[in-house]
This record gives sequence, C-alpha cells and structure tokens, in this order.
Amino acid sequence: MLLSQKYINRWLDKRIPPATEFQLDHNTIFIFAAKFGGLFLLLCLLLFLLGTNYQNNLMLLLCYFLLALLLTHLLASYRNFSRLTIRLGKLSEVFAGDDVALPVWINPESAPAVHGIVNINFMGQDVQHWLDCDNYNNPVNIELHCPRRGYQAIPRVTFSSYYPLGLFKCWTHLAFAQQILVYPTPRPCPLVLTSKASEQGEQSQSGQQISLANNDEFSHLKAYSAGEPLRHVAWKQLAKGRGMLSKIFSQEQQHSGWLVLPPGPASQLETQLGQLCFQVIEFSRQSAHFGLQLGDIVIPPSSGESHRLNCLHALAIYQSEPSAMVDRQ
Amino acid sequence: MTMLKHLFTLLKFRARKLSVKDRQQQASNPAFVLNALVLLAFTLSLLDSILGWVSLLVLCSTAIRAAIYFAYQKHLPSQRTMSLLALLSAIGLAYSAIPLGLLVAMVNLLVMACALKLMQLRSQRDFYQFIVSLLFLLGCGFIFNQSIAYSLFYALLIFAVVLSLAWFHAPARARKPQVRYVALMCLQAAPIAILLFLVLPQLPPLWQTPKAKSAQTGLTEKVTPGDIASLSQSSKLAFRATFNGTAPAIAERYWRAIVMEDFDGRSWQVNTQRKQQIQLQQQGMLRFSPQLTGPFAEYDVIAEPTQQRWLFGLDIAVPDSRQSQNEIWQSPTFQLVKRQPVSSAFQYTLRSYTQAMANQPLDALSKAINTDTPRQGNPRTRQWVSELRRQYPHNPDFIRALMQNFAQQPFIYTLRPRPMPVDPVDAFLFDQQAGFCSHYASALAYSLRLGGIPARLVTGYQGGELLAKPDQAPYLSVYQYDAHAWVEAYDAQAGWQRLDPTAMVAPDRITQGLRQAMEQEGSFLADSPFALARLSDIAIFNQLRLWMTDMDYNWSRWVIGFDKQKQLELFKALVGELNPWRLALLGGVIVLIIGLILLFSYLPQWLAGRRHPLQHCYQQALSVFAQAGFVRPAWGGPLEFEAAVQRHFSADISQCFNAFNRLYLAYVYRPHTTRANRQLRRTVRDMRRHLKHLKKLLSPAMREAQGVNRQE
Repeated sequence: MLLSQKYINRWLDKRIPPATEFQLDHNTIFIFAAKFGGLFLLLCLLLFLLGTNYQNNLMLLLCYFLLALLLTHLLASYRNFSRLTIRLGKLSEVFAGDDVALPVWINPESAPAVHGIVNINFMGQDVQHWLDCDNYNNPVNIELHCPRRGYQAIPRVTFSSYYPLGLFKCWTHLAFAQQILVYPTPRPCPLVLTSKASEQGEQSQSGQQISLANNDEFSHLKAYSAGEPLRHVAWKQLAKGRGMLSKIFSQEQQHSGWLVLPPGPASQLETQLGQLCFQVIEFSRQSAHFGLQLGDIVIPPSSGESHRLNCLHALAIYQSEPSAMVDRQ
Repeated sequence: MTMLKHLFTLLKFRARKLSVKDRQQQASNPAFVLNALVLLAFTLSLLDSILGWVSLLVLCSTAIRAAIYFAYQKHLPSQRTMSLLALLSAIGLAYSAIPLGLLVAMVNLLVMACALKLMQLRSQRDFYQFIVSLLFLLGCGFIFNQSIAYSLFYALLIFAVVLSLAWFHAPARARKPQVRYVALMCLQAAPIAILLFLVLPQLPPLWQTPKAKSAQTGLTEKVTPGDIASLSQSSKLAFRATFNGTAPAIAERYWRAIVMEDFDGRSWQVNTQRKQQIQLQQQGMLRFSPQLTGPFAEYDVIAEPTQQRWLFGLDIAVPDSRQSQNEIWQSPTFQLVKRQPVSSAFQYTLRSYTQAMANQPLDALSKAINTDTPRQGNPRTRQWVSELRRQYPHNPDFIRALMQNFAQQPFIYTLRPRPMPVDPVDAFLFDQQAGFCSHYASALAYSLRLGGIPARLVTGYQGGELLAKPDQAPYLSVYQYDAHAWVEAYDAQAGWQRLDPTAMVAPDRITQGLRQAMEQEGSFLADSPFALARLSDIAIFNQLRLWMTDMDYNWSRWVIGFDKQKQLELFKALVGELNPWRLALLGGVIVLIIGLILLFSYLPQWLAGRRHPLQHCYQQALSVFAQAGFVRPAWGGPLEFEAAVQRHFSADISQCFNAFNRLYLAYVYRPHTTRANRQLRRTVRDMRRHLKHLKKLLSPAMREAQGVNRQE
C-alpha cells in the first residue's frame, strides 16, 4: 500500500510538477466515471433489455440517447474543468501547532467561465471545502495544520468537479511550489535582552529585564480572516452578533540588546526557541533594537519588519529536519 | 483551555462536514421541484393505468416539494412518518395491483417509490437513485404511448430531468444559460443517438415479457348482436397498410381478423376446437398452408397495439418476409395469428391472393362446425328458412333469395338499434328490421346454416382511408370505426364465398365508408363530438387531419416500425452488397462521424479557450515580425516595440503597426466597463484588419520589391 502510494506520488511529481499557478489542461486533469455514471450505465443496459424485449424502438432510442449524453458529458465536463485557473496566494505567518489558511485564488483574472460545484480537499483526505463557481469569493481559504516548526511542504490539493450531470468526475492533484515556513510556537516568558552576545553567560543577570507579561495594550479591532489565531478573536463581540473580529494589540516601548539561545539539553531546545520566538515578536512590536544569536548563527541588532522576519526564519529552521519539499528541490 | 479549543475545532469540522453534505439540498435549488413536476406530468399521461391513490401520492409529494421551494415549509416529513407511509403504500399496492397484471403493477410500484423518495430526498445518493428510477419510468412510458405527441412530451420530460441534474451540480448558475447549456448538450447527443439507433443491431426479444393485461382494444372474440344497444365507436387508428403498387378498390377491402364459428342462438364466438388447433400450431405439431393461386397483392401492415394475437389481412393473406413468417402463422380458418399479443406497434409483410378463397377445400371438421345450429330458439326464422329452402332447393338460388330478402324488406342500417334480448334473430328479421353489420351477418349466417349451407361469421375491418401521393407508396389508414362483420358461406361449386348482407341494405357503408352512410342519422362518432374525423367537412380541419395522419404514418413506419429488415435495407443502400469487410468499413465510418460531430461541437470553444482572442491577435503580429527577422525582446513592452518598429521599418509598415498597437493598448488598459465583450469584439475585428494589412506589407515578395526600390 505504502509502496504503491510512493510510486503514485513519484508519478504525480513527474506529471504535475509543483508550481505556483495552474491552468488546468490535459496533463493535469484526470477524468473517470463517477458512481452515478455507473448507475447510469446500468440504467442504459436495463432500458436496452426492456426495449429489446418489448421491441420498442423509442425505448431503445432513449437508451442510445442516454449513452450519447454520457459521451458529450465526458467532453463537457472536461472542458468546464479545464477552464479552472488556480493560484496559491501569499501565506500568512503561522506558528507550530496552529492551522495556516492557504489562500487559493480561483480564476482570479477572468470572468467565471467555470460552472458548478468544485470540491477541494487534501489528496487522500475527505472533502472539506467546496465552492460554487457561479457564486464565490476569492480567495478560498483551506486550513492546513502545521504541527512542527521549519519548512513544511504543502500536501497535494485535490480539486474535483462533477458538473454538469454528475456522470463523470474530473479531478486534479495539484502541488504548490510554495512552502510554509512554520515558526516555533511562541511561549510566554519574561522579556530579557542581554547587552552583548559574547558575554551572554555572565551578563544574563545584569542585563535589562523587562517583564512584559500581560502588558499588551489593546489597540483596535479588525475583521477576522481565516488562519488568524483564535485567541485573538473578540468573542464578546461575536456574542453580540457583530461577527468575527480580531483584537489587535500594540506596544510603544523602546528596548535594545541581544536575544541569545542559552546552551541546554536538546529536549529543552523547542521550549527555548518558543520563548525566543515570543520575545522576538514582542520586542518587534515594541520596535525594540535587538540582535539574535543561535549557536553559530548571529543576526546583528536591528529593528523593523524585515529584521523580525529574519529572526523568525532563523528560529524556524534552526536545527530543524529538512522537509520533503526541500529534498525535492 | 486546549480542550475547549479542541472541542471547537471538532465542532467546526462537524459543521463543515454537514454543509458539504447539504450543499446541494438547498431549498432554492429548482432541481427537486422540477423533478416533482416531471413525475406529476408522467403520472397524468398514464392516468388510466396508474392507480388513483398512487396518483394522489404523487400529487402530495409535488405539493411538498413546491412548498419547500417557495419557502412555505422548511422541513421534509420525518423519517418515521415516511416509514409508516411507505409501509402502508406497499400493503395497499400489494392488495390493489394484483389484478392489474405484472407490467402495470410494476409501473405503479415505480411511480409510488419515486413519489415516496421525492418526499425525503436527503442525500446526494438519494437524488441519484431517484433520477435513475425516474428515467427508467419515463422509458416505461413508451410501452404505453408511442404516438408523436406523446413521444415529444416524454422527450420534454427527459430534458427536464437532465436539466435538473445540471441544476443539482450548479445550483447558483443563472436560469437561461443553464437551460441553453443543457439543451446544447442534448442536441449534440441527439445525432449520435440516432446514428446508434440506425446502426446497432436490432435484436429479437430475449425473453417473454409481461404484457399489459387489462387494455385489450379493438375486436373481441365474441359477438352478441342483440345485446348492444348502440355501437360505440372510436376514431382511434386500428392499423395501416402500405401497398406495393396500387391499393385494391374500396369495395374489395375486407380485412379479415377473427372467424367465429360457434353460434348459440344469441352470440357468435371462436370455436374451441379451432383454438386448440391454433395451440397445436404454436407448438409446431400442426401445419396449415392454403392452396395459393392467382393474382396477388403485396403490402406492409403496421398494427397498433391491441394486446390480442389476431392480425389483419386481405383474403387470403400469407406472411411474406422471413421475419413475418417467424412471427405469424395462418390458422385453418385463414386468420393470421401472432406468436405473442401485439403489445406495441407491430409491422409485418403480407401477400394476399385475392381470388384464392374459391379454391379452398372444405374438410370434414369445418363442415361439421359450420353447419351446426342450436336446437332451440328463433322459431320464426327456422320456419321461414325451411319454407324458403323448399322453394329454392338449388344452393346458389337459395343464397340469392336470402340476400334479396334484405333488399326487398324495409331493413334499416342504424348504429342505434333497440336491444333484442329474446330470440334476437327472430326479433331482428321480423320485428325490428333495423341494426348494424353484425345483426345482418348473424341473421344471414344462421339462416344459411339452417338451410344446410356451411356458413360462418367473420369480423374485421372494411374500407379505410387511402392516401396516395405521387412520391410515396399509397397507404391505407383503417380506424376502429371501420370495424365490420360479414358472412362466409361454402358452396361446392363456388367454394368459400364472401357474403355481405350490409351491402344489400346500406351500399354506402361498403363503397364510401361509415361516415357517409351515417350522414342522415348523425350517429357517426356521436360519443366524441370533437373528433377531427367528424369535422372533415370543413376544409382546413380535413387538411389538418390528413397532414397529421401523414405525419403519424411516417412516424410509425420509420421510427416505431424500424426493424432488422429495414436496417438491412439501409445498410444495403449505403454499402451495396453486405460482407464483413464492408460492414467493418461502415462501422469505422460511423465512429469517425461521431468523432467529427464531437470535434466540431467543441473545437471552436477549445480554440477560443486556449488563448484570449486579443492576445492571440497580438502574438500573431509578433510572429509576422519574427518571420521578417525582427524579434521582440522578452523585456520590451508594447510601446518600446512600437518605437523599435518605427526605427527599423518603412513608414507604411510602422503606421499600420502603430494603429494596431494602439488598439491593443487601448483595450488592455481600458477603464472597466460593463460592455467589455462588445468592445473586445470590435477591437479584435479592427486589429485583425490591420494584421491582414501588416502581413501583406511584410510578405517576402513585398519586401523584395521594396528592397529593389531602395536599391534603385
């Protein structure tokens, strides 16, 4: 079973290589009779038998019409499905243990030439999403659970459609070239900046210690978008019937110094990285000036969004096992 | 906290799962109500076969679906209610459908199941099962109704079912494009279906099928003239006959169906010994072949379904084609008998030897049966005949005298005689002297038997409406109101001869048909005042009626009557002599034709879908330049390329490309308008014009000429 799965995957990788955007065509589309198509064939057979036994030409004609319909349906469903253009949008930040929302843009540029319901699921899993191509909003968010930090490949996403009559199933397994960078789970801890990277062992006591626990200040509310952490959802607002809103927090204090990964056993690594992650986020929110040192990796002190991303990136990939996707590339 | 979160995601997942399942079950989806209407319409078309309470069930389910669609009601009936209803319905059907026969019971069961299913369509699987049973049901409808009007009606219903399937899979698509799309798909399928129908082999029945039991129509195997107070007539078609060459004259069109040889003083019926003979024939233990000589006529007959085994033919008819010979045989009384009852339109080929009847011998059995008379009853007739017989001992004289009696006495031909319950022949001959064909035939045959001459009653049809057009073979439509009864008598010199006493009383009936004969009495089709046949005096209605008859004839001859033989003729017409090689070629050509039909219906859309027409046009222009050795660099934009063209090419080329490029840019960077489609069409049209010009200017010949010019 596993072996065959492996072969299928290898074959799929060759047939539908990963990309960021797909225009479905005969290379990517698979088509086969659906269960209903089988039932329909059985009906045709029954009509044929009955029509022959009663020597009833009209019944035979109906049988042949249904068969011909099967044939035109094959082409119609393929043509409809092949108008699908799929692109994966920009991924939001995600921390280990959370779900990331994969924003899938369906036919972002053209008028809706595709019709009918399209089912979306991860390959080999149950159908979780569907969209009606005549009535939907871009992007369609698909949640993917990210259990570990580091680069994570997106599993193949299956799009399937039964339009127009449900006799044939058109489907495709798409691999998106993007990889999800999963940051370590932030673990709340006291915010500590040591003054210098080289002397971190001794300086840890004398360094500035700012405790920021529960010090976030609520700033404003914004509309919730799928994939944002659930703990930021303003539940009270939801209860009042104002819809899903997210709380946004802000802090204005200024700090400067180093964040250093303390040496410790491997079992402690994840916790420590989580704490560093938390601190990176918090200090960045305060627009603090800080550097990061993880073993040999040193990011000089700086501030701003790109610095924050650099730090988080470093935390995410630090000693993480390479993902399958990285392997492939 | 984490547990709560877990619970929440679990709930969210559950909710999502449910929504996937129910997405197509939205109340606003017209698929369900459309199917409900289809089921209702089908039930209405078969109202006389479907039980009343089953129709009521269909009405209920339609009402439920309509209520949900129009949001009067939000919930389907509960599972428990439905189970109870289904149980009760099953018991009811088992109780009431047994006398209906297997076929009608099966249709009732299917209709009932569909109605119940419709009330509780919950999942996708339910819907698919329902659709398949509905389509099957519609197919069964063709067993009962095969006329053009019904076929069109059922075709419409089938289209509606296909449409509902499309709606199920695309609930939000607008109504008009959806209908157009499905119609297009069906139109593409239709020629393929017709091709398959023409080509795929027409097989003989694989096994015996249950027939509709109750609906025997047409002639009956027993005639009781005194009972019927008024002959009910119908303008329904009985059969059609297409002649090779000219049709016989109207007075010669006696279509024999059933021969009745048993008379009990009141009614005539088929002799039991004859029935046994037919059974023996069916088992292959008895053969009968008449002596056939003299001129003959060849013709095809398409009999409408009667659920009986008797067929119609002119005397003496024998099956002509091999297929007809397999299906039909001739009984010792020269009737045509089919192996199985005629349950759907049945076509057969006959050859009639019109003068051979006189040469048939009279065997001992026939003589015994045909001179047998009841001992009692009708005393006045007995006395009268014995006196007459004494007067005319010579057989032909006696027969003539009997016939003349009808002409001399004041007999009246009427469709509304009074009932004659006691001694009907006496009452008819001496008291009332009014009746229709079976009264006359019965009285004459009885009198002949009393006089010692073998005689029997024959029922069938007489006359028919002939439609002869220069471009097609003449065909005859015989309706139920052409039903007739006459007498056959045997004389040693003349053999079996046909005697029609009705002709003595109402010659119009024989030479012009029932309508003319009944003009004064006004009783022709008195039960159906709006029958088109009654209105044939009005020219336009008659035209309409004849046109419809013609359509119907062609329909039953070429569509319903299409069989193995016609298929072979078609093949022969297509490929000449039949051999495997040519048949294989024919098959190949047909597959090719189907492929081409599909290709031509999809090719334009494929080509259009491949690339935006605007981009396609622009790329073509670029390739024209590339052929001239001037390739647009990948990093250059359209404006940059325009400038480059201006630098490299002569003024007329660059001007032309300039206009082309401006059109392109104007469309690509247009403000968003609602009429983008029209604008696109216009832009592409103009761009194509420029492109054509550009191609001409950049063609090698032109450039050569220019190069020569420049050198000069």
